[in-house]
Amino acid sequence: MNRFDYIRPGTVAEAVSAAAVPGSAYLAAGTNLLDLMKIGVARPERLVDLNYLPGLDAIEALPDGGVRIGARVRNADLAQDPGFRRRFPAVAEALLSGASGQLRNMATVGGNLLQRTRCPYFQDTASACNRRAPGSGCDARGGENRLHAVLGWSEACIATHPSDFCVPLVALGAVVEIAGPAGPREVPLADFHLLPGATPERESVLAPGELVTALRLPAEAAGFAAHARYVKLRERTSYAFAVVSAAAALRIEDGRIAAARLALGGVAAKPWRAEAAEAALVGAAPDAAAFQQAAEIALAEARPSGDNAFKIELARRIARRALRLAAAGTPERLPALPASPFAPLSGGLHG
Amino acid sequence: MTRLIVNGAEQVVAAPPEARLSTVLRDGLGLTGTKIGCDAGDCGACTVLVDGAQVCACLVPLGQAEGARVQTVEGLAADPMGAALQHAFQAHGAAQCGYCTPGMLMAAMEVLQASPRPAEAQVMAALGGVLCRCTGYRKIVTAVMEAHRFLDAPAAPLPEAGQAVGARMGRADGWPKLDGREAYGADAAPADALWLRPVRSPHAHARFTLGDTAPLLARHPGLERVLAAADVPGRNGYGIYPDIKDQAVFAEGLVRYRGDVVCALVGTREAVEAVRVEELPLDWEVLPPLAEPGAALAEGAPALHERWPDNVLTTGRVRRGDAAAALAASVHVAEGRWQTSFVEHAYVEPEAGWARRVGDRIEVFASTQAPYMDLEEVAGVLGLPHAAVRIVPTACGGGFGGKLDVAVQPMLAIAAWLLRRSVRATWSRSESMASSTKRHPARIEARAGCDAEGRLTALEFEGIYDTGAYASWGPTVAGRVPAHSTGPYRVPHVRSRARAVLTNNPPSGAFRGFGVPQAAIAQEALWDRLADAAGIDRLEFRLINALRAGDATATGQVIAASAGLPACLEALRPRWAALREEAAAENAAGGPLRHGVGIACMWYGIGNTGMSNPSTMRITLEPGGRLAFHNGAVDIGQGSTTVLLQIAADALGLPASAFALVLGDTDLTADAGKTSASRQTFVSGRAAMEAGLALRDAILLRANAGPEGRLALSDGMLTVDGRPLHLEAPLEGLGRFDPPTVPLDADGQGVPYATYGFAAQIAALAVDTELGTIRLKRIVAAHDVGRAINPLLVEGQIEGGIAQGIGLALMEEYLPGRTENLHDYLIPTVGDVPAIESILIEDPEPLGPYGAKGIGEPALVPTAPAIFSAIRDATGAEINRIPALPHRVLEAIRRKEGAG
Repeated sequence: MNRFDYIRPGTVAEAVSAAAVPGSAYLAAGTNLLDLMKIGVARPERLVDLNYLPGLDAIEALPDGGVRIGARVRNADLAQDPGFRRRFPAVAEALLSGASGQLRNMATVGGNLLQRTRCPYFQDTASACNRRAPGSGCDARGGENRLHAVLGWSEACIATHPSDFCVPLVALGAVVEIAGPAGPREVPLADFHLLPGATPERESVLAPGELVTALRLPAEAAGFAAHARYVKLRERTSYAFAVVSAAAALRIEDGRIAAARLALGGVAAKPWRAEAAEAALVGAAPDAAAFQQAAEIALAEARPSGDNAFKIELARRIARRALRLAAAGTPERLPALPASPFAPLSGGLHG
Repeated sequence: MTRLIVNGAEQVVAAPPEARLSTVLRDGLGLTGTKIGCDAGDCGACTVLVDGAQVCACLVPLGQAEGARVQTVEGLAADPMGAALQHAFQAHGAAQCGYCTPGMLMAAMEVLQASPRPAEAQVMAALGGVLCRCTGYRKIVTAVMEAHRFLDAPAAPLPEAGQAVGARMGRADGWPKLDGREAYGADAAPADALWLRPVRSPHAHARFTLGDTAPLLARHPGLERVLAAADVPGRNGYGIYPDIKDQAVFAEGLVRYRGDVVCALVGTREAVEAVRVEELPLDWEVLPPLAEPGAALAEGAPALHERWPDNVLTTGRVRRGDAAAALAASVHVAEGRWQTSFVEHAYVEPEAGWARRVGDRIEVFASTQAPYMDLEEVAGVLGLPHAAVRIVPTACGGGFGGKLDVAVQPMLAIAAWLLRRSVRATWSRSESMASSTKRHPARIEARAGCDAEGRLTALEFEGIYDTGAYASWGPTVAGRVPAHSTGPYRVPHVRSRARAVLTNNPPSGAFRGFGVPQAAIAQEALWDRLADAAGIDRLEFRLINALRAGDATATGQVIAASAGLPACLEALRPRWAALREEAAAENAAGGPLRHGVGIACMWYGIGNTGMSNPSTMRITLEPGGRLAFHNGAVDIGQGSTTVLLQIAADALGLPASAFALVLGDTDLTADAGKTSASRQTFVSGRAAMEAGLALRDAILLRANAGPEGRLALSDGMLTVDGRPLHLEAPLEGLGRFDPPTVPLDADGQGVPYATYGFAAQIAALAVDTELGTIRLKRIVAAHDVGRAINPLLVEGQIEGGIAQGIGLALMEEYLPGRTENLHDYLIPTVGDVPAIESILIEDPEPLGPYGAKGIGEPALVPTAPAIFSAIRDATGAEINRIPALPHRVLEAIRRKEGAG
């Protein structure tokens, strides 16, 4: 690990001004950053530790019915918060399907948004990677790329964003609150992460020194609580990243879909909200034909970036599965294996 | 200065705020019970509680633990529930190698603090982030659920004299694994030891030159030496076979895989860690690699090593009868092709150890499965006589075959010898994965036939095993596979060949089963299809063909006794019927979930293939009454320390608790051979029995007592039939056993093994035919072990073997350079292992101690084929590219549907 300065600011303003110095990085729980520093992928010259900042660790009910989640709230604390869990069950399910108990006890909400890709070429400093070393090329193209992007990728980069948490968040219209040298601002989560284009090294809209301070979910997001699921296909039962995943949320009135939300994970460099598919669902009966059509629309633009054509069909199927499970109703208690396609469910897979 | 409360006591630590809590605990506070498995939050071995919540200590910067309450394994016994949990682990055999155990215990404490009587799902959720490679998790889950029962219960008594064999005795070496005292390779080096850090090739194939390292040494104070090929005092080569020392300690201008060692940095820890690889004066000329066996076998392919011009390391063959003619005459014929992947051992303890020079001798302390082989390698690279080398195995945090090859040992010995300092090393996880041996990827083509009654007629088997860049155990694999290619069945006509082919991949070596698990996948798939073709139930088909005592094998060996496969199958029959009925009922409901039940059998030759593999055990009784069992068999978690003690105790006629254990050290114990080939219970067990009987004879002779004389030992006084026996000189019982075999001839005919383990396993599962995922529901395993010396530990081997079989079948695929960590390389977690029912069949082996054979490898072999059999049953799909990841399952389903 390289040598670096360590700064422990006492306020957000101090943090922002400390991090404005080039070469700085914010340190939250460090579950991702410290690992990347160890393997030489991240080499910050100074670490600005956020762990002693006051005021970023609350889960706050807003007067309008929404919720504000401080950036330092731990994943486990958010997932276990009874009020939050009841109103935003798909978000809790996604949180509990991610990483391991140890990591969820440490990892923060803000850090989750800013996770770096698990692309093995990004993680291997001996490989070419435009995201890590702009202009060096992309060894994932033509390499081992079974798990890479099928939506929104470019010739420069085919990596995916690894977060589970962000998938239902983007579906539910979350907003990111940001502090920075130029003052505070807000960005919808859907616009927060950037697709690679020609500049894959730019992963989010954050300018140097900007700090995520909170996430907000709007009141209307809680309106989906009765029909909201997150489903994740992974290659072992727990502690594995998604091959593909989907968050689906429906408002069903008089046997028809009054509102729909659908987002996909593991398919692109950002959590992928499928707005056209959502629009197609509105007014339809919540049945297999409607879900099939929505899944087709959601993946209409997909194309393989390598040896991963199978992911396109899998993504359609996981979208259908999530919609079907959401239509069947949010279970009263989260299944023992959150987000597992095999979890026992009301409505049944057999029928 | 940072203040922490560690296990209730305040500690003030002088370390930078970004120091990892794991490092602070281990190096700063000496609490080495917290283990490092990956240093990246992927394995959970370093799990501790911080303010009651489980976290990976390797990911906690010290600054974030300021003022926190930290609980580690060392503090567990002070908490009543913690102590109860330790007792539960001991009673249920929940620790094997013990390396993940501290992390498991602490993760379990998180849930036990909230729910003293947790449900299974709660326990699964709490343990989901701790990887265990030994146990298969089931006994751990049970121990956590049952911990509350041990709150007030006294510890179970040890078996009485004469009652040890057959007892479900807790591990004789169990407690240090539960309280953090056990010292593994990285735990016990002297404080002033220098550190060694190898520099490895990032290329699969390249030439290189290493320039002048003096400027590097000058730039890094504390860096003492850069060791390279020219520094090796003896032979710069090692390897398993006495005549194949093809792997250099330090490469000589040419690297053959990503992981070959170019040189090693020796100095203070800070100094060796501060060096960046780019700083080294290394010039590379990258060469095109031979990436797979097809390329290596192609006409005109360059030879990896001069001595194997066609890149074929070894060819193993078995020929018996006329397979081609018999196949042509068969009523039913099935054939297929299969391809398996590299599989990583993924022991949770990375390779580690230390060495020191003591006068003109060298002493190496390391995690190993084979101390006497290490001794020979260290003597070879130092150019020293064997007597000048001492190997002291540390506790071994899992091996599975991967620690049969040397790793840290030669380099540490060279460094300590030349620098006359203690030198230590611990591989990082990615280094461990990049450099260590793997399970051979196999490409198998096979054809088999049967007659109208379902009797097997013939088998043709062709296996190409990617043996990687160096020989390692490749010849053993190529030799063992053809001898096992029929599986445990009567097949009159056989033509079988396996070739180990050199490539620029990591060396493939020994991994639980030596190539047999891959072959079993092909065999068992053929039997299923032949059974279907003949219209015979899949279990009954296997029973028709099962080897029985008196049958001849394909190598011409007549199995004299202890052939318990028919008994295994008969024991499974009621479960088979019930599970199939259950699956049929579930399938009747329709939907995308398809349920299936599969079956597979295996046999496994215990010990080396057609080669001598003796073991010697020694028991001494001193005049002061000290009874010592000198046991050189390394317990890597499988339980040999306990099992051999049980055997020795009953042979001698004293309780197991009467013995002092002298383990492993090559200065203090005789050569027991390596811990491999499932041989320690059978071979060393028989030697232990002989040693016990010999000492007993000596005692009875001296006491002038009859053969039924009753021994007792208390307060240093031995009595025989109640009469004290005074000794002027020590008595010794020496036992040696070498299983009788006959080497295989050019047609693979001979007696390769003195005995075989047999087994059959059933897997019940559901396939999600939309998503391609598999959910295992149940595995029932019937194993003929001859005699279960310790049924608790036998079950532990079965469950752990099954977990590794699940990994092989469903998720494990090592890609060199791409999956060198434990989040991209997936091994089963607690949720991936279903309920397992073990049925122990005891068809005694006359040569074995009290009838015992072996279980280590047999446990793994049938699992993957049983899973594929169940997928076939559920969907009709044939899995022939392994592991069966979701996309491959979907492809197999599509292929089957396409075929109509």
